Amino acid sequence: MDPQLAGVLAVTLRVALFATLLVAPFALATGWFLARRTFPGKSLVETLVALPLVLPPTAIGYLLLVVFARSGPLGEATLGFDPGILFTWRGAVLASAVVAFPLAARTARAAFEGVDPRLERMARSLGISPMRTWATVTLPLAGRGLLAALALAFGRALGEFGATVIVAGNIPGKTQTLALAIFDEIQLGDERGALLLVGVAVALAFVVLWSVERLARPRAAA
Amino acid sequence: MSRFEIDIDLPLGRIALNVCGTSDARALGVFGPSGSGKSSLVEALAGWRRPRAGRITLDGEVWFDAQKGIDRPASERRVGHVPQDLLLFPHWTVERNVRAGAARGGDESTLRRAVDVLEIGSLLNRFPPTLSGGERQRVALARALASAPRVLLLDEPLAALDLPLRRRLLPYLARMREAFEVPLVLVSHDPTEILALCDACWRLEEGRLVEHGPARRVLLAAARQAGTFENVLRGRAAATTDGASRVVLAPGVELSVAGLHEPAGADVLIALRAEDILVSTGPLPAISARNVIPAVIADVRIQGEDAWVEARVANDVHVTVLLTPSAIRELSLVTGSSVCLVVKAQSCRVLARS
Repeated sequence: MDPQLAGVLAVTLRVALFATLLVAPFALATGWFLARRTFPGKSLVETLVALPLVLPPTAIGYLLLVVFARSGPLGEATLGFDPGILFTWRGAVLASAVVAFPLAARTARAAFEGVDPRLERMARSLGISPMRTWATVTLPLAGRGLLAALALAFGRALGEFGATVIVAGNIPGKTQTLALAIFDEIQLGDERGALLLVGVAVALAFVVLWSVERLARPRAAA
Repeated sequence: MSRFEIDIDLPLGRIALNVCGTSDARALGVFGPSGSGKSSLVEALAGWRRPRAGRITLDGEVWFDAQKGIDRPASERRVGHVPQDLLLFPHWTVERNVRAGAARGGDESTLRRAVDVLEIGSLLNRFPPTLSGGERQRVALARALASAPRVLLLDEPLAALDLPLRRRLLPYLARMREAFEVPLVLVSHDPTEILALCDACWRLEEGRLVEHGPARRVLLAAARQAGTFENVLRGRAAATTDGASRVVLAPGVELSVAGLHEPAGADVLIALRAEDILVSTGPLPAISARNVIPAVIADVRIQGEDAWVEARVANDVHVTVLLTPSAIRELSLVTGSSVCLVVKAQSCRVLARS
């Protein structure tokens, strides 16, 4: 494999994987909370959760840039140390995670809503602790939907461009993901190189979406 | 014997459940039409619904007291709850489902006994979605029993099944009732189910307790209206003699029945319409009816053109008979009269597992 392509793929997969790991606990917790709890202002929270879905990714990137800028709320001057986000692969992870979050949280919510809360109540009645009920009843029953949520987050992170380019830049071998590399090749007028990368992107996206479809399909009776 | 004291006020949308009553019945039936609040009552007992006001105690132990702010969680009430939708864990094997019940304190021998009584030993490695409706019901009952409950709460446990299957499952419930010394509360809209299993009955209407007393009395009108059996007698199959199947209802009281295919010793239920029983006060000529059973009249009630007679054939065995007021007058039937009940073997409907 072309070493440059291999490098781009390594960065892309690493960023997508870490973004998925970063987003997972927040998406699962938010999904569960929205599925199981009723509270005043819930629709406001739902809107906030969905916001990154419709905001231009460049706007999200810019907001992150402002937050992590040297004198920003989470910048070096405020924290007293460099959080190491801007123009690093960690920045690319953060940008991808923020953009992927609403997709993962909404899919996780649907997965939790698919589990009859009365089953959890029965488990509690039988003396099973809340944590064990969550781990042995809720999680396995929502499992396929939750995996689909994570696969969607991974897929979304694979294709992230707008927020990443602003927060992490486009540094080959460091922060240059597949989406950024395609942009580079087009800018340089290398159609063959661009097509090759697009082919790889299509193949990756196909595998991810196919997995999501398989996971989201209702399981046949055991 | 356990004693429930219930006095609750629970809003249910259009109506409110306002029930105040006590019960120390071994098995209490809760009867009423859909929407009368039966299931909500059971859910309040199970700790799944919180009443707006009131108090619930079992044997003096306070489960709920709105005034004192007491609301013991469901897991601490130790009830064996079988809701209408059973709520078996679909991703667990039958064995794990039943063991989930035992996790709360039931021991291995209780679990084994529950598995045996409900005959689910061969299903233990299967998953609930692969079971038939009747098998699922039995697994849910076994799980409830395995939890060594202080009281069993059965909320329309057979409602999702068709009538023939419901009748076949009734003997399992009766057997369970005999094998385990657990008081039970059975919610049902089917008088036959309550008559088969319960001593006492509460009738609810629009969230209110409108009638309570012995099940055979409370359910008379409902059974008649539904065209179903007013009598469901528990007995044990006896050895077949002279080609006739016999069921022992009590020591010295036997009933010849037709269509009994259970082995000797099996617990069976015999359903009998009140209108299919004749009453005689004098000596009988040769008669084709296979059963002539001595009895004492315990109660006579005349309601319009119906005369309901309650006859005691043994200490715990009462039979309800439907006559006409003129028959009561002509035979001079009063409480304490000695009579003979005449029952055709063909009128005795066997409710059996097979």
